[in-house]
Amino acid sequence: MDNALERLIEQAGTIILGKQPVIRLAITCLLARGHLLIEDVPGVGKTTLAHLLARLLGLDYKRIQFTSDLLPADIIGVSVYQREEGRFHFHPGPIFTQLLLADEINRATPKAQSALLEAMEEKQVTAEGETRKLPEPFFVIATQNPAHQIGTFPLPESQLDRFLMRISLGYPDARSERALLAGRDPRELLDEMEPCITPVQLQALQKQVDQVHVADALLDYCQMLLSFSRSNPRFNHGLSPRAGLALLRNAKAWALLDGRFQVLPEDVQAVLPATVSHRLHSSEDTAVDEGENLAHFLLSAVPIP
Amino acid sequence: MIGGLQLHLSRRELNALAIVLFLAVAPHFFNLSIWIGLFFAATVALRLVLNRQKNPFPGRWLVFLLMLIGLVNLFIQYPIPLFRSAAVALLVSMLGLKLLEVRRRRDLYVAVFLGYFTLITQFLYRQDMLLAGYALLVVLALTAILVETSRHSPSRSLLSPLWQSFSLLGQAIPVMIILFLFFPRLSGPLWNLGLGEQSGVTGLSDKIRPGSISQLSQSKEVAFRAHFQDPIPPPQQRYWRGPVFWDSDGVEWDLGAELQPRALSLSIGEQQINYSVILEPTNQKWLFALDLPDRLPPRTRVTPEFELVRDDPITQRISYQISSRPVYNTGEIADDEWIRGLALPDNITPRMQQLVADWKKQSSNTAGIVDQALAYFRQQPFYYTLLPPLLGQNPADQFLFESRRGFCEHYATSFTLLMRIAGIPARVVTGYQGGEVNPMGDYLIVRQSDAHAWTEVWLEGQGWVRVDPTAAVAPERIERTFDFDLTGDTIGTPIDFNLQESDFIKSIARQLRWGADALNTGWHRWVLGYTHDRQSQLMQLLGMGFLKGRYLAIGMVVFTTLVMLGIGIYLWRNGQEKIDPIKAAYLRFCRKLARRGIVRQPAEGPRDFALRVNQARPDLQQQTDQITRLYIALRYGRVDAPEKRQKLQRLVRGFRV
Repeated sequence: MDNALERLIEQAGTIILGKQPVIRLAITCLLARGHLLIEDVPGVGKTTLAHLLARLLGLDYKRIQFTSDLLPADIIGVSVYQREEGRFHFHPGPIFTQLLLADEINRATPKAQSALLEAMEEKQVTAEGETRKLPEPFFVIATQNPAHQIGTFPLPESQLDRFLMRISLGYPDARSERALLAGRDPRELLDEMEPCITPVQLQALQKQVDQVHVADALLDYCQMLLSFSRSNPRFNHGLSPRAGLALLRNAKAWALLDGRFQVLPEDVQAVLPATVSHRLHSSEDTAVDEGENLAHFLLSAVPIP
Repeated sequence: MIGGLQLHLSRRELNALAIVLFLAVAPHFFNLSIWIGLFFAATVALRLVLNRQKNPFPGRWLVFLLMLIGLVNLFIQYPIPLFRSAAVALLVSMLGLKLLEVRRRRDLYVAVFLGYFTLITQFLYRQDMLLAGYALLVVLALTAILVETSRHSPSRSLLSPLWQSFSLLGQAIPVMIILFLFFPRLSGPLWNLGLGEQSGVTGLSDKIRPGSISQLSQSKEVAFRAHFQDPIPPPQQRYWRGPVFWDSDGVEWDLGAELQPRALSLSIGEQQINYSVILEPTNQKWLFALDLPDRLPPRTRVTPEFELVRDDPITQRISYQISSRPVYNTGEIADDEWIRGLALPDNITPRMQQLVADWKKQSSNTAGIVDQALAYFRQQPFYYTLLPPLLGQNPADQFLFESRRGFCEHYATSFTLLMRIAGIPARVVTGYQGGEVNPMGDYLIVRQSDAHAWTEVWLEGQGWVRVDPTAAVAPERIERTFDFDLTGDTIGTPIDFNLQESDFIKSIARQLRWGADALNTGWHRWVLGYTHDRQSQLMQLLGMGFLKGRYLAIGMVVFTTLVMLGIGIYLWRNGQEKIDPIKAAYLRFCRKLARRGIVRQPAEGPRDFALRVNQARPDLQQQTDQITRLYIALRYGRVDAPEKRQKLQRLVRGFRV
């Protein structure tokens, strides 16, 4: 099993060069059964990463390009009257898939956004009075451009909270970039990729995440992190209990990915920035997103008990 | 917190600092040269003006220039940089300059601590309750500044830092009380740094000349306060004995050589008055007591003429317990007293001798002559006045026959001379007479205006007897306290004793004055009067009389150390209890590495730390990995086996860096 995961990471690394930690975080998020938000400027490989994960995990994969005129029906599907049968027939939308890539989610109107986010939370959609279950497993990898770019509808805090993690890829380092430029087109490489694990294996792994041991000392540490964020004046408001659960879940998945069945403080530290940066706001009114800095401040300020 | 110290101060903080420091220095304006005060006030004003500017920090050159001005000012005002005032003036000037220089939080802390120190220097000048209360308020404000600037963001209301400062100071009260009670007192004055600086102490001196006491009488300053254990004696008996004068050159009276100690043939009555006196500094050696002093305070001796003389001059407020015998007979006169009690200056005029000769013709015994002399003062137009006319080279003659206006010293000295002419040994006694009873607190306030002079004559069979010629002229002087208003009086105006207490406001004012004096006296008695002696009394009472002086200091240090050690052990134990043995073992491992410079950060996980250790000390890799693996397994894993725990402890114990 570990082997499969190792190979997964290794394979991904051949396409997305020099981004091992981000790839690990993305896989962690999927193991923890969470949805992933990738925020970055266009062209650094967000879509490629999503594509790659779908391919390597052997999942059924669909993509929606979010635009400002996207309607909820474009996501969920629509019922069409069938003259021959004399009744309405539901045409499922792209959401009925195992891995959905919602590209540039913040270009759509809030109405379209909320249709997707509702489905993410409940793992089912309701159309024309009929509730339909979404397939198992069901992941959403959403990408978005940084909020200050033109033509974006920033996601409200409550909806950002639905994403277990927010990561950003960033530009590759010089060596990786050179290798990228010298190598073949990543799209072509992607098509040649073979799945490393089956969906059944993936679900088994997800179950294993639940079994990773969390010691009292580690719970203390998590709780101290949460309470510090609530009492320190640098934070506008503290982390919610939901954020705390997300943190622990990610830490467990991260430990499993590392081949361990117990969570260490290092695991919490590794996943904390990606888990909480989109949930934290500075008490000072700054235009810049301070989430990342706050997360690191939080880590440096709270001693490990 | 280094970053915090470097933070620039806001205008609000700078304003608060300037105002509070001004308050801290303000009482010094009365102690120091006006120019020092003006310089400081100018720096505060400049600070406040600069705070309104875009850049509130003055340039280096301006500060340098101001420093030069400050130094020049200081050297002009205090050319000899030796004494208390020069040092305080330097402190105040530099504090003003510091205020201009303050930029960052660190500077503010320095300035605030200087403010605390400056506040303490106020007590070098005055130690009254008002100043102490004021100093406490300023301490509150200074602490509030510290509280406010230590905050992450400014508080909305000024009350919040003040309240926090108040509660901080409140918590310090027990410590303050313990230190007050047990901190070793120096037997000498702690703040008597004013070497060579005689503050203008008014009081009786070792010479009298016509006018010297009447000058003193214009001072409302308190000479001493007396608390009676027995009922307060009536005004007629309240003669507070001070220096006794024997020798006169016709103008001035002098103490003369001190009489040799001798055995006294004294007999005393049953009645005894016990009381304690709080004497203000006089820079003289005399203590004051009612006639005749019986039990002596320590470090004091009594002369044959019943003066109480202390070993050293009274330069600070002292308190002594004493008792007096109002009924007495000093018995036989000694030879030297006889000679000196009859000595006459050269300028005795024939008309003085004629006057005495007339009395002698009419009376056969000495007591009769005394009565005649008193009758003379009573019947002739003598006036009792605070503003006697100036007298020439023969004041006694001039006073007796020409001006006939004088104060107690005129009456006492000329009466004494007349007695000596008549062949009755006589001497002049100075001291205080009367005093005001403060009904609040029930004690007597004796002021400089109660200074008085009277005569003692020696009569066969009665010994030295007090005769007060002033009482013959102005009995009111003796019977009621002496309250006067000099405004508008011309020289020679008789004193009008007709002071009706009709004025309601005046009576309220007097009540207030009494109340304030009672409070202040309590302060003197219980706070300032808590001296070395009282402290050793308290220690005796607590059964720790062996803790004296140096031993008390050592005892205090030992006690404090023990308490701190106790608190430390308690806290350490409490902290330890929360840490389980696994964590303790790991922390020990970390401490061993820390001693070699590899310090684990508080937020550094065990695996990260092990990586770092291995990089720094590859030679320890095996041990480090083993310990870390065991620790992780025990603390974060499911493993909970005592033998593993013991193994970890063993490994850590054996770990050598």
